[in-house]
Amino acid sequence: MGSDRGISAGVRTGELALERKDQGVAVLTISGEHDLSTAPNLRRRLDGLIEEGVATVVDLSPATFIDSSILGVILDERRRATEARLGFAVVRAGGSNAVDRVLEVTGLRSELPVHAGREEAVAAVSDNAEGSP
Amino acid sequence: MTDTELRLTLPATPENVIVVRQAVAGIGEALGLSPPRVADLKTVVSEACNNVVLHAYETEPGPLEVTAEPRDGELEIQIADHGKGFQPRANEGDPSLGLGLPLIAALSDSFEISGGAGRGSRTTIRFGYEAPEPSSNGAHAEVSDGLEMAITPGVMVKPVLARVIGALAARAEFSVDRLADTVLLGDAVSSSEGQDFADGLLGITIQDGDGTLHVRVGPLVEGGGERLMGEMDVPGAGSLQSLASRMEVTTGETAVGETAEFLEFEVTS
Repeated sequence: MGSDRGISAGVRTGELALERKDQGVAVLTISGEHDLSTAPNLRRRLDGLIEEGVATVVDLSPATFIDSSILGVILDERRRATEARLGFAVVRAGGSNAVDRVLEVTGLRSELPVHAGREEAVAAVSDNAEGSP
Repeated sequence: MTDTELRLTLPATPENVIVVRQAVAGIGEALGLSPPRVADLKTVVSEACNNVVLHAYETEPGPLEVTAEPRDGELEIQIADHGKGFQPRANEGDPSLGLGLPLIAALSDSFEISGGAGRGSRTTIRFGYEAPEPSSNGAHAEVSDGLEMAITPGVMVKPVLARVIGALAARAEFSVDRLADTVLLGDAVSSSEGQDFADGLLGITIQDGDGTLHVRVGPLVEGGGERLMGEMDVPGAGSLQSLASRMEVTTGETAVGETAEFLEFEVTS
């Protein structure tokens, strides 16, 4: 478990936390507000996981704001994971804020797709990871 | 019609987009926009600011200028730069994969972009709202290396200042307690009726760095600094002054070169 920025405040700037699951799956949880200023760090973390060769779940549930640069990173990294034959899934459980609006309006909730629960997403990438290197 | 207005100028850097987003969200809240509409406002403003941060300036970040003005049931937001202007080009280096403008189009009531090569760019976004307009209120903010705001005392001061302070304090990695302290001090300044301010505008400059927010309030009329400090006394609980690591009344120059009084304080993470 590692947290990049221990900021907790009325306005929370971006925070990332990494958790390793037993199934060899990494869950990267995104909380607070993420935008252009935090996108490079998110990209580095996801690049590192893909280079490690682990299946990855990006959990957006505690995020309060994401912009198009974050969506761009997620789409890029999903493509990289697919090319490397690694599982990659996105979770958004509950919530009714700017994150949900952006996922709906861009059509990414169905396109990615976005899972409603973390366990479901972990199971999806675990299945996907079977038979991959 | 109303003369309610926020003006904000700050360097076009990725770290400053959250400051603009929070300031405009504070205006949206004060106008009575619903939480989903405030969320849309934050997205639209961020995407327009991203365009400036990513594309306007070649080397050093130049100014990002933002105004927010409610009129005739619409909140009009303008986001402008003095950069190279919109130029047709492939998406090389754009991390948003071109999703920014479609998001602005989808979530605002209307938007337009003006400018051209070498003339800078201006994105104008309109958001309808139904709440009654607040009392006469104006805000003006500029930044050199920090943030300068001037706001007519009124209902918008508190939400705008609280969100701006919140964003800056979070960026300076303040703890929750220190953030709460800083917002309390901001609230104390917000509650001023304005009679102590030299030009009737509540002026405030905030600079952040090294885990400290440096706040300068003014220009004030003579004796205004002492009165503002006096208003920070909480009966039976001491003074809010103790929340600051330093607080003093100083003399300095106004924007037009006149000498005036200021109240300065620092809050450290």
